[in-house]
Amino acid sequence: MRFAVALLVLTIPARANTFYLTVAGLGGEPDYEQRFAMLASETEKTLKAHAPEASVETLKGAAATRENIRAAFGRIALAAKPQDALVVLLIGHGTFENGYKFNLPGPDLSAAELAGFMDKVPAGRQLVVNTSSSSGGGNEALRHANRILISATKTGSEKNATVFARYWVEALSDPSTDTDKNGSISAMEAFRFAERKTKGFYDEQKRLSTEHAVIEDSVKGGAAGQLAMTFSVVKLDAESLSADPAKRALQAKRDQVEAQIDQLKYQKLLLAPDMYRTQLSKLLLELARVQEELDK
Amino acid sequence: MRSIGLMLCLGLVAQSQTLKRAEELWRAHDYKGANQAFKEAVAASPKDADLRVKWGRLFLERYNRADAGQLFTEALQIKPDYAPALLGLALVANETFEGKSLGLAQKALEADPKLVEAREFMARLKLEDSDPKGAVAEADSALQLSPGAKDALALRAAVELLADRSPKEWEAKIAAADAHYGRGYETIAHFLVLNRRYDEGIEYYKKAVAADPYLDSAYSNLGINLMRMGREADARHALETAFNHGWKDNATVNSLRLMDSYKNFKTFETPTTILRLQKKEADVLHPYFETEMKRAMAVYDKKYEMHLSFPVQVEVYPDHEDFAVRTMGMPGLGALGVTFGGVVAMDSPSGRKPGEFHWASTLWHEMSHVYVLTATKFRVPRWFTEGVAVHEETAAAPDWGDRMTPDVIQAIKTKKLLPVAEIDRGFIHPSYPAQVIVSYFEAGKICDYISEKYGEHKLLDMIHAFAESTPTDVVIQKQLGIAPAEFDKRFLAWLDVHTKDTVEHYAEWRDQFKTLREAATAKKYDDVIRIGAKICDLYPDFVETGNVYVALADAYTARGDAGAALTQLEKYSREGGRDPDTIKRLATMLEAANRPKDAAAALERLNYIAPQDADLHKRLGGLLLAQSNTSGAIREFAAVVATKPLDQAGAHYDLARAYYAAKQNAKAREEVETALEAAPGFKPAQKLLLQLTAGASD
Repeated sequence: MRFAVALLVLTIPARANTFYLTVAGLGGEPDYEQRFAMLASETEKTLKAHAPEASVETLKGAAATRENIRAAFGRIALAAKPQDALVVLLIGHGTFENGYKFNLPGPDLSAAELAGFMDKVPAGRQLVVNTSSSSGGGNEALRHANRILISATKTGSEKNATVFARYWVEALSDPSTDTDKNGSISAMEAFRFAERKTKGFYDEQKRLSTEHAVIEDSVKGGAAGQLAMTFSVVKLDAESLSADPAKRALQAKRDQVEAQIDQLKYQKLLLAPDMYRTQLSKLLLELARVQEELDK
Repeated sequence: MRSIGLMLCLGLVAQSQTLKRAEELWRAHDYKGANQAFKEAVAASPKDADLRVKWGRLFLERYNRADAGQLFTEALQIKPDYAPALLGLALVANETFEGKSLGLAQKALEADPKLVEAREFMARLKLEDSDPKGAVAEADSALQLSPGAKDALALRAAVELLADRSPKEWEAKIAAADAHYGRGYETIAHFLVLNRRYDEGIEYYKKAVAADPYLDSAYSNLGINLMRMGREADARHALETAFNHGWKDNATVNSLRLMDSYKNFKTFETPTTILRLQKKEADVLHPYFETEMKRAMAVYDKKYEMHLSFPVQVEVYPDHEDFAVRTMGMPGLGALGVTFGGVVAMDSPSGRKPGEFHWASTLWHEMSHVYVLTATKFRVPRWFTEGVAVHEETAAAPDWGDRMTPDVIQAIKTKKLLPVAEIDRGFIHPSYPAQVIVSYFEAGKICDYISEKYGEHKLLDMIHAFAESTPTDVVIQKQLGIAPAEFDKRFLAWLDVHTKDTVEHYAEWRDQFKTLREAATAKKYDDVIRIGAKICDLYPDFVETGNVYVALADAYTARGDAGAALTQLEKYSREGGRDPDTIKRLATMLEAANRPKDAAAALERLNYIAPQDADLHKRLGGLLLAQSNTSGAIREFAAVVATKPLDQAGAHYDLARAYYAAKQNAKAREEVETALEAAPGFKPAQKLLLQLTAGASD
């Protein structure tokens, strides 16, 4: 995983930017209205704290209209480049009758309309996280190459209000979400965190789960999940490539050892446990020493 | 006219033939055929109450209480006060030990004082209520009416056995009346099991099936009780015999299903304990349960001055339905745990919403039963063993055990507590819905009172007295030196001192509490503080959702008074509040108040309530490590690993840190490498690995 992210860092030009658009939809009642707006605000706070250079836009309350969303996408489409990334987060209620719709003040936003807005954004990697009820019903319309889809529900028929959003937002600010400790929370890591917490919520409440989150991505020639694993949603303390040649050599060495560790892990089942452990210990120690040098 | 008479006559003959056929098919174990025959007979004679009663009895025998009850009710509509129908309804009610069965049986006898079966049933009810004298009187009345009344003979035999006298005379009479009357032995077995004398009960169920190899209910009960005692191979054989004979009642089917599910459990054995946990939660729960089992045994060994000669087996069920199978056919609450000799079955903390269930309190309660039942050779009345068990819960820790509920307050206020000599009735045949809970409370308080007034050792003296099969009234008289009635008087006076404030002011508290909740919802914090301060001491036991402590803490927090908020949450915890989020909030406030030791203690409480919470273990592990409590930190961080968190690297690294602090470097290295295997670039873990390597080369 570290290796994959490192590769991404090396292959993506340094000026790649991420555009975030968060929409808190119509609550329908004060409790939901307040909750959705609060989650949107928390997201904005987290993103601004961890990615001050990124473009972060939030639409909530009366401002969260279809027209304003269209306008926001229009601005992003003008500013974004192919090397950039786009993250769309929808928090609210959704319906599924003759297609999926995200509930907004005024006219609702259909999945097809959202897909149309996103298609116009040239950002080469896109993530849409739809945490609303019935959100799974919108996935078909949103499916696109190099676009990761995360929905709180598997289908449009899961119509109850969801809790996924709360845990998605929590995932972005909880360091334990970064399970590979590479200083970056990937879409897959955040999804796994939120999915597990959502399941835990229903288990603890002894309630039948009325939402089953799904993730899907499609990258040309890549394996399922590959894009989501390398798509950084929040960078906690990701490292950039050093300008110092000596350090660059150490970074290269580190990447090489990490690659060896990855390879060894793939062979784990084929090796005798003792042999695996001995080789792993050696490589981990080597990696730690290289990192120690790098940190000096 | 003549032809009408002839038709009537032919009709009666046809009906009697159909009834005869139905009864023959029933005797031949062709239950479907018998059911069809009854159906036809009732269709032919819809106004015949007796037919419906007989048909109802078929349903009752084939464990269909609903249809049986319906038919008895229909019979009563045709013929009000029809004694066999009233008796039928009493039998239906008693299948689940409903208190109304007694009233129905009495009505049946009023309608027909010579109804032998009703008299036998009354004897059964009396004996179930631990009233052997009453049972003997009723059984003898039945025998006067019919000297060969086999169930009355069986009840007499049961009375003798329960009093540790020989039942031979009565058993001989049963055999003489009907050598194949297995139901007589089944009845005796029922009473032995009801009095927790499971091994003897099993022997009588065996006698029952030996006398009547078609007595499938006895096979089923034999299997269930063998299962309870942990004798699984024999249990399966008996249950499968019943099942293969067509006896497919819920108890049999569910018991077999439960035994099939044992493959999903993991067993941990030590010389003194056997712990069976569901595989998914076994690694998390194992250290906490085993430690607590051993701690309870060490305390009870000393307290009860005995040492168990067998390992105690504890089975923990995450699915409440599985646990419920273990308690089927048992009277009383049985809601959380149940003890069968040396085997304890209980709910897992994961089987309930976090905060609803204090598993350690339940474990200590059940383990107390193991000691008391063993010490008394199972000759202890239910009220006493339950009372001691409830007493032990709060003796282990004051915040354990159940709080005084509104039902209990109401029972005290309306003087519904039972005299000590009759309290068993409240457990076996409750006459109002909350009576079982009230009886647990009362029995527990009686034991608290005895302990306080006469000393803790007096409870042990009473245990020894009960071991001699001495009834409650005699034990009270001999051990406490006063008559039961005088004991009741003194106990109630003592209880009054302890509960007076709450009982007297409950209505006022309830009204004010409602206002407080409204103020809290409206965020009128000054009102919350004003009302809360006034009523919080009126009913300190109330720690449920919406309680005054948390409302006050919220209000003080909103007013910026963190100190006062903290005081309220500390009171909440001390009084037994169990909501995990609130306890975690308390721990956070204690940390903020620079009281890490108290924060750790607050979280330690949660280990007894919600041990599956990885966040709890992580926080507690961190606090304990900071306080150099390395063994505690190792335990907590190992629990995090056992929950199989997404953050494997973080969990193993924390455990490695704890091992390193405990100077267990080999284990620390193993854990840190596991962390790095998951996340090779995890810098803090890399640093620890280098430290460990440097240490190894020193």
